Amino acid sequence: MCKCMSVCCLFVFSEDQILLSDCASSLAVQAYLRMCNLPVHVSCRSNAEYMSPSGKVPFVHVGNQVVSELGPIVQFTKAKGHSLSDGLDDVQRAEMKAYMELVNNMLLTAELYIQWCDDTTATEISRPRYSSPYSWPLNQILAYQKQWEVRRKMNAIGWAGKSLEQVYEDVSQCCQALSQRLGTQPYFFNKQPTELDALVFGHLFTILTTRLTSDELGEKIKSYSNLLAFCRRIEQSYFEDSQAGSSSRGYSKGPSLF
Amino acid sequence: YFLDTIQSMDPLPMHGRDMGVHPDDMIEVQEAEHETKQEVLENKDVVVQHVNIEGLGRTKEDLLGYEISEVFDAKNLIDVMKKSHIARQKLLRLGIFKEVEVVIDTSDGADALPNGLDVTFEVTEMKRLTGSYNTMVGNNEGSMVLGVKLPNVFGRAEKLTFQFSYGTKETSYGLSFFKPQPGNFERNLTLNLYKVTGQFPWRLLLCVFVGLCVSHLLTNHTLKWEGVWRELGCLARSASFAVREESGHTLKSALSHTMSIDNRNSAIFPKKGALLRINQELAGYTGGDASFLKEDFELQVNRRLVWDSVLSASLWGGCLLPIGGRPSSIADRFYLGGPTSVRGFGMYSIGPQSEGDYLGGEAYWAGGLHLYTPLPFRPGRGGFGDLFRTHFFLNAGNLCNLNYGEGPRAHLQRLAECVRWSYGAGIVLRLGNIARLELNYCIPMGVQSGDRICDGVQFGAGIRFL
Repeated sequence: MCKCMSVCCLFVFSEDQILLSDCASSLAVQAYLRMCNLPVHVSCRSNAEYMSPSGKVPFVHVGNQVVSELGPIVQFTKAKGHSLSDGLDDVQRAEMKAYMELVNNMLLTAELYIQWCDDTTATEISRPRYSSPYSWPLNQILAYQKQWEVRRKMNAIGWAGKSLEQVYEDVSQCCQALSQRLGTQPYFFNKQPTELDALVFGHLFTILTTRLTSDELGEKIKSYSNLLAFCRRIEQSYFEDSQAGSSSRGYSKGPSLF
Repeated sequence: YFLDTIQSMDPLPMHGRDMGVHPDDMIEVQEAEHETKQEVLENKDVVVQHVNIEGLGRTKEDLLGYEISEVFDAKNLIDVMKKSHIARQKLLRLGIFKEVEVVIDTSDGADALPNGLDVTFEVTEMKRLTGSYNTMVGNNEGSMVLGVKLPNVFGRAEKLTFQFSYGTKETSYGLSFFKPQPGNFERNLTLNLYKVTGQFPWRLLLCVFVGLCVSHLLTNHTLKWEGVWRELGCLARSASFAVREESGHTLKSALSHTMSIDNRNSAIFPKKGALLRINQELAGYTGGDASFLKEDFELQVNRRLVWDSVLSASLWGGCLLPIGGRPSSIADRFYLGGPTSVRGFGMYSIGPQSEGDYLGGEAYWAGGLHLYTPLPFRPGRGGFGDLFRTHFFLNAGNLCNLNYGEGPRAHLQRLAECVRWSYGAGIVLRLGNIARLELNYCIPMGVQSGDRICDGVQFGAGIRFL
């Protein structure tokens, strides 16, 4: 039974400020909400990260509830009667969770690594963008604080010792696993998209359409043609009215994949 | 944010040598030979030849020259004693000497005049490092303050203080450097570096303020530049969205000017006199994110009536004008209500609110009319009873946001409608010379929907009351 939900308001960083990892997470949530046929309105705030109850973007504000990150948002919409994974049996559901964990542990961490642990990217792209809404000297302080925080987290999970090539290799392996699971199907599970599809789309599409200091990451994904087709399919099906993630575009190359 | 501890300065007895009749005097004043030995010393002309200061260690002498220079102008003995006393007070006021003793003696030496005097100030410098522990009362909060002070750091009465304050509402620490202008102690320069963590405005947000403040005090005027890094975060998950939107970091860089004229006879229970304080603050033109012009004023007039009672009227007001289209921040707005402003209402609980969280307003006014009388039947008169007063009060005020597109007439109309007011009576207790406690019975009126009232008994402690 579907209960009508009032318009969700999705809060993200503004265009000039948003970084790769946040852009990917936001796009995943947007894709999920569109797949559920829920009207969503995107709002840009420079303090979105601090407004969020968990400290991470994106978050949605519905009625007087505030929910952040894809996992809790999926739970929240499920409680309201909207779900994409109802048709899955237990084995499939476990598989879906496993793949979502894989994406979060591999792709998201790789994005964070490239943004903040790679000195070139951090200096040329991440710090200037992250600190753009603030004035001196607060911008320097906040940017360095964020960088230090992410690097500390990388240390804790053992990624600090990795080199950039190793990270690219990890991404490639992750994509290979996803590509194998996807095979020739339109979506990961049967013919209906699930939250896994939204999550994978969010990350892959953002990586493909974002200009970083090097194109290697995008090339790795492009080598898997079924993933490329998958992204195109979702963009055409769910984002034809507006360009995919138009407000989370960030620093992209072009309007779409073509 | 910090309160200086006021040191009481008890006047020490002055030492002076007896002025016996000297053989030299007899030679000088031939005409006075016939006068009795009990000549009136006041009429005797003297010249102050030397003024010395003994006991200086690290203090630089040029600083002291200004304080003692007037002693040279004394023309007779009583004048010398008066001016020496004043100079002694000035030296103590510098805050660098533990004790100052004055010795007045006839001059001796090769160039000594027969009616010459030497005045010597024997000073004991303070130790290089002193510690202190105080308790402090703010507005409905209390805190304990630990301090470390270095008086007279570079020799010209500069003071370096480090303070740590732990209180019911906030924790703070700060480093403060104070430098008076030599020769003009009323003018001074203060540099203040602080970090304050606390709940603001009232159990709503957790704020961390890290700031640097430079202020220059002239007589009646203070010029200040302040740079503050403010971090606001929601305390409760259930905070309203309007408060949640205020979370985050902002940087405020503001110039402010305060003019303060206070001719009341006392800060706590004034019997006469008036206070006028006008403050303006301009933020945004020296950097930072916050951009506004803020004006506020405080006026208090007191008048004594029959039977030791005092009628006191006060008026507060202010407005905040955001500049450049950015909305104002919750940390800059005004708040109204509580035992220290409009009594009978909850703390800061008047005005715009969202789901029970009070957001403050951009313009406000508040007025109070008080009648203070001694306690009925005057128990403990002359002693403890003098610390108490009964008071009858009438408070009123309003707080709202203004739409600056409308004209001033619309603004005045907005502030004049839906006025909250209250009346009542209670007992006031004076704490030292700075703070007071109040226990009142209040009846709030004109309550608008959304305001939180505190009718009945209300307790308040603080420094600044409406």
